[in-house]
Amino acid sequence: MNGLGMARRWAGFGLAVVVVALALTALPALAQEAAKEPTYRSFPLIGSRLAVWAVAQLHLNFAAFILGCPIFAVIIEIIGWRTRDEKYDWLAHEFVKLTFAAFSTTALLGAFLLFLFVGYYPKFWTYMTSIFFPTYWVYALLFFVETFIVYLWYYGWDWLSGPRKWIHVTLGVLSNLAGTAILVVANSWVTFMMSPAGVDESGALKGGVWAAINNFTWMPINIHRLIANIVFGGTIAAAYAAFRFLSATTDEERARYDWMGYIGNFVALSAFIVLPFAGYYLGREIYAFNQTMGITMMGGFMSWLWIIQAILIGILFLGSNYYLWLGMERIPGSERYRKFVPPMLLILTIGFMVWATPRSMVITLDEARAMGGTHHPFLGFFGVMSAKNTVVNLMILTTFLSFVLYRRANRVSVKSWVGTGMAVQWAAFFVAAAVVVFYGVYGYFVESIVRIGFSVYQVMAVLGCIVLVMALDIPMFKGARSTGTIRWGTIAPRSQYVLILLAVTFTWLMGLMGFARSGIRQHWHVYGVLRDTSPEALTPALGYAANMITIVTIVFFALVSFIFWLGGLSERGKAQAHGHAAPVIAGGSHGED
Amino acid sequence: MRVPVGVKASVFALLIMGSYTYFANSIPQIESKPPQELSLEGGNVTPAQLVKAGEEIFKTKGTCEICHRIGQAGTRAPDLAGVGSRAATRKPGMTAKAYLIESLIQPGAFIVPGYPPIMPAVDKPPIGLNRSELWALTAFLESLGSTVDVKLDDIPKTAGAAAAGGGATAEVKIPGDAKAGEQVFQGKGGCIACHKAGKIGASPVGPDLSQIAKIQTPDYIMKKILDPRGMGTVAGFPPGVMPPTFGQTLTAKEYTDLVSFLLTLK
Repeated sequence: MNGLGMARRWAGFGLAVVVVALALTALPALAQEAAKEPTYRSFPLIGSRLAVWAVAQLHLNFAAFILGCPIFAVIIEIIGWRTRDEKYDWLAHEFVKLTFAAFSTTALLGAFLLFLFVGYYPKFWTYMTSIFFPTYWVYALLFFVETFIVYLWYYGWDWLSGPRKWIHVTLGVLSNLAGTAILVVANSWVTFMMSPAGVDESGALKGGVWAAINNFTWMPINIHRLIANIVFGGTIAAAYAAFRFLSATTDEERARYDWMGYIGNFVALSAFIVLPFAGYYLGREIYAFNQTMGITMMGGFMSWLWIIQAILIGILFLGSNYYLWLGMERIPGSERYRKFVPPMLLILTIGFMVWATPRSMVITLDEARAMGGTHHPFLGFFGVMSAKNTVVNLMILTTFLSFVLYRRANRVSVKSWVGTGMAVQWAAFFVAAAVVVFYGVYGYFVESIVRIGFSVYQVMAVLGCIVLVMALDIPMFKGARSTGTIRWGTIAPRSQYVLILLAVTFTWLMGLMGFARSGIRQHWHVYGVLRDTSPEALTPALGYAANMITIVTIVFFALVSFIFWLGGLSERGKAQAHGHAAPVIAGGSHGED
Repeated sequence: MRVPVGVKASVFALLIMGSYTYFANSIPQIESKPPQELSLEGGNVTPAQLVKAGEEIFKTKGTCEICHRIGQAGTRAPDLAGVGSRAATRKPGMTAKAYLIESLIQPGAFIVPGYPPIMPAVDKPPIGLNRSELWALTAFLESLGSTVDVKLDDIPKTAGAAAAGGGATAEVKIPGDAKAGEQVFQGKGGCIACHKAGKIGASPVGPDLSQIAKIQTPDYIMKKILDPRGMGTVAGFPPGVMPPTFGQTLTAKEYTDLVSFLLTLK
């Protein structure tokens, strides 16, 4: 790396540290000042709410990326370390490079968000400070720890190689622990706003701050965001690889970024499969905290939001599977499994349609009379949770099957028990599907409180199937005969657009879910405790929210593209950036990828 | 001409986001507006007006319709058709209106068999109905199968006390002089021509403001003086009577003094 690049990176580090130090030292004074200030101020032109919305969404996008990406980067680094396969080490370094480039931007956006709160919502911020001030110090301390460790991790890549690699891997693990700790501290603030705990009717803290931190939605959001960050990091990294693939001028480069895109998508897909379960947990805790909030979220003015969510998730499922099916075309021997694609596509399509079916529709009186009510006599049956839980579990099973087929596409097991093993695997799929369908149908005949419990059985059946199939698959294909090496770089270019589609869709979905999380508070800053009395207290309709989400997502991708371009400037034309030779990937799968 | 990859990828991403945005704009657009405070204290409200106001609360601020239906059994909460007469039979020795009021502010006191105990106290945040709104809502429920006989005094004085949910921002200090504001009320403002305020005034043209600070927020009072139409008309009074010109005729000091005076009326 040249001196200019190094200086620029350290300048970014210095800037991030200065911003946090300034914010930390200014906080008490600003909060005290805010106590004397008006309740609200108006941000010029766009208003305070839109300003906070835009900056918060951007900050969360960047934060999700820099927290999610290192989680799988360190796992890939460990794989490379233990297998002594240089290409994994290169890939881990590539992922961390992307994280690193976005690091100071995340900090700057966080500081900007803080200033918006202090300046434009001073009373709200004073109140939050009265509850959470001790955690501000913890947050700042963790940020310093995270920053130092990540810089050491990145810049120490060569220095801590060879026999000292374990130290380097430890740094990667520690940076993830610090990053996750930052996430859970910040989550305590935002979840308190949704489901306040530990305060009396006037909003004053009753006991210690822990009661406010450990509110109903804190742990579910921690889990949900942690998983979602991995998905997000994977999709963004895969989209970056797709862009590099499409821009590549040599076969070698194309193969390298084809492989990187595959890994990014694999990471995203693996985490994405369990994300709906984390969503159930979060939903259940919202209902446990306040039935009215839960019902407003699912059946009130936000009910149509879940139809949009279903469409987006359906596109993610279809896109991920389509990418795997396209990928199989570059694997010799995969022809055996192509017959499974049409039925899998059928299940995914039907699942998509059922999930996107609304329960009741906003229609005119004449239309309602013609239909016999607001619920369609036939399609209305697919609009309830029983149907939706069933199809999402079937879609997860189908996606998992796609992955299993992809995994074994160029391999033939040589184990003597392969017949029995495969029979058990297929049986596991059918039993799981039967359990899912059984409880889905049975759910129509029981009370809602019983029906909610059925989703746990459905989830357990799917997870059990995944665990059992993989437990058999790994030993069954160990030392398998190869039918040919994967021809990395020969995948159809349209597959790379699928990766871009996944990244854009998931980013948009994050914005939508952020709106849902924030919007269910309606006209409350802190639900039931601190009312939003500003002129902007109304919760906008979905169209307005979608316009806003799209604008912010465009800004996010523009910033990310610029930052990645900037980050790569110093390495342009250098074959061995950071001393890491880009590996030759083409045809190098050795049956293990 | 070869189109750069960056341009193709950007156009592709824009098309994706554009399609999501188009779809989100093509479905029903429902906003969630902050509920308006309703004040009926001191007003001459007929039972019919009370029931109408209560029905509005049932459908909006009370959020009752999320679980309850009228004439249709729900899985979460009982059908309210005929509840006005049925309420008298729920608890021995308890009148229909007493049962209905108890159901609203202490919903856990009696659970209708077969339903989960999920109803929140509607006079507490986040729903936070005030006494006037509880009165109107009770009247509406009585009207479903019975006659309306509930009075404001039937609603406990403590009900709705925590409705505002102001938390740390509840306290508002107006830099005005309440004594000077009383002079504005009686003099330049001409408020006394229509409103009663404690011992001052007796005209029934507008609502009695003797307890306005107790039942309304400072925000409402300030806005109502400047924009009386925009803030709605109290049930039972003719709309459009209150002049919309106080923002021009009163000085800033007179305005803050007047607000300070009104905030002493508890």
